[in-house]
Amino acid sequence: MIAPSEVPSVPVLEVRHLAKRFGGLWALRDVSFSVSEGEILGVIGPNGAGKSTLVNLITGHARPTTGQVLIGGQDVTGQRPWVIAHDRVARTFQIVKPFRGLTVRENVAIGAMHGNERDRSVRDSLATADELLDLVGIAKHANAAPMQLSVADARRLELAKALATRPRLLLIDEVMAGLRHHEIESAVELIHRLRDAGITVVAVEHVMKAIVSVSDRILVLHHGSILTLGSPREVLSDPRVIEAYLGHRYVKRRSE
Amino acid sequence: MADILRGRARSRQGLFVGWIRALTPANSWPALAGLLVFAAMLALQQLIEPGTQRLLTSVFLFVALAQAWNIIGGYTGYASFGQVAFFGLGAYTVAVLMNNYHVSFWAALPLAVLVGVVFAVAIGLPLLRLRGHYFAIATLGAAEGAREVINNLTSVTGGGGGITIPTFGSDAPTPYFGKPGFYLAFLVLAAVSVVVAAVLARSRFGYAMVAVHEDEDAAGAVGINTTVVKVVAFGVSAAIVACAGAFYAFQQIEFYPTDVFDASFTVLMVIMVMIGGSGSVVGPLAGAVGLQLLSQFLRVNLGNFNQLIFGAIIVLVVVFFPQGVVTYLRDAWRTRHFSILDNVRRYRL
Ligand SMILES: Nc1ncnc2c1ncn2[C@@H]1O[C@H](COP(=O)(O)OP(=O)(O)OP(=O)(O)O)[C@@H](O)[C@H]1O
Ligand SMILES: [Mg+2]
Repeated sequence: MIAPSEVPSVPVLEVRHLAKRFGGLWALRDVSFSVSEGEILGVIGPNGAGKSTLVNLITGHARPTTGQVLIGGQDVTGQRPWVIAHDRVARTFQIVKPFRGLTVRENVAIGAMHGNERDRSVRDSLATADELLDLVGIAKHANAAPMQLSVADARRLELAKALATRPRLLLIDEVMAGLRHHEIESAVELIHRLRDAGITVVAVEHVMKAIVSVSDRILVLHHGSILTLGSPREVLSDPRVIEAYLGHRYVKRRSE
Repeated sequence: MADILRGRARSRQGLFVGWIRALTPANSWPALAGLLVFAAMLALQQLIEPGTQRLLTSVFLFVALAQAWNIIGGYTGYASFGQVAFFGLGAYTVAVLMNNYHVSFWAALPLAVLVGVVFAVAIGLPLLRLRGHYFAIATLGAAEGAREVINNLTSVTGGGGGITIPTFGSDAPTPYFGKPGFYLAFLVLAAVSVVVAAVLARSRFGYAMVAVHEDEDAAGAVGINTTVVKVVAFGVSAAIVACAGAFYAFQQIEFYPTDVFDASFTVLMVIMVMIGGSGSVVGPLAGAVGLQLLSQFLRVNLGNFNQLIFGAIIVLVVVFFPQGVVTYLRDAWRTRHFSILDNVRRYRL
């Protein structure tokens, strides 16, 4: 774990006064933070808080209304998604986006063909895909069609596709939602392994327990603004977070 | 484990080794089959009468056109209804160069391809931002526009009065190939288009086209430059169509803008790919061969009603095999499930 005081000079990701307006709605406003190398940043917030919008703005899938995105100190605001991907930033989609006409193996291989340090041939990419499928635990479905996968396995595929591009920064948008207990545990373990391999992780999650155990710091979004940003313990004990986001049910559950 | 996450440079000779491996027996049977068919078609020419030769020549033409349409409309998922524009531009480039400037056909041919590609890039950059029906209608409009330009450039193209390519006597920059020559020319064109499509489909670019077809946001997220993929696919398709148009012009000798910009060329490309099955190499091949032979058979045997029956057969095939006949057969063979009724249910609910 890297404490803020030991932050290396250039953060992997820095976001400055980022804002996004959809018509009359500010999905995100004046969001600034940075993520240093090797860190795991959790992002939480109620439905519609702007979490997915934040990911989209960072990866070029939406253009910010105002503000800047810096990757490794470079301003990449408004760049197209493949430019961001070649800056070694990968992401998953909350609503999984498999390439349906291809096998699970081929889905992953595409990232190895077109991402960073890419394989020189289709054959090598398929070999890389097999290793990554093994890593995320769906090697036995390599030849299946992605639509045949369970919810949990489809999320794992989404993760393997992203990893195949060899990212230094990985943004995951709710890969744990809807998973069972033991599935969440293995996902948490996987995220730790990614960090150990040198990948910085920004994890958008709804599952409170998972995010607390996995994150170095947690960012709380509410109505598009940062409510608070701090260590899991600070965030959990912040009365505004308990009030605004977690609500009374969580307070009750904790005291049980 | 950490190795696979950090990525490692695979050996430099990886590409070469992969290429050699791709030629191992297990992978080479489609290539062998293709070579056999090509040789058979060459030999067949000596055995058949001129009428049959003419029919097969048109089959070869449509094989090339269907393969070309499949690259942009099938693999990449952008259904162009303006492909005939490249055909007409290829035809007119050759005709104008040969007629007005006495350029030889072989020198005019690459220029015809170039004109087709340049036009594809020029309209592709703005139009390939549109999706679905909007792209279809916009390309249709672009083709109409191209025809009107040719129609009105009377001083260069002869306008609506048509154009004639000098092919005989001392005036001809290139001697006319004759019927046997065009049989060979279109056979080679068809073979080249099949090889181009097959090589593309198995390449990294082929996977990129499929990814763009499936989901452009997801394709971009894994590092695929979707703009480049779409424009290149459109350009490759246009190159094949323009080349076909150039040969067609030389074969016709004399033609009008309405002949080589005839939208029914585009419609036939689309129908052939749809009937055979899009997004594969065999589908458009089977669609082009099947429909062109069927159309001729009906014309000879049914007289006045042939168009009606032809249309009815197309409708029936589309109803029962919405994914294309070849795609149906492939899936049915894989799953050992041949019920046509189930097939209709699966696609028409
Ligand atoms: N493309 C869009 N057009 C218009 N409004 C949008 C668009 N995308 C998001 N929004 C709106 O912006 C707000 C933030 O959405 P966002 O998807 O970022 O929230 P979220 O925090 O990811 O929510 P969830 O937990 O449900 O995934 C919502 O009110 C949403 O309706
Ligand atoms: Mg979301």
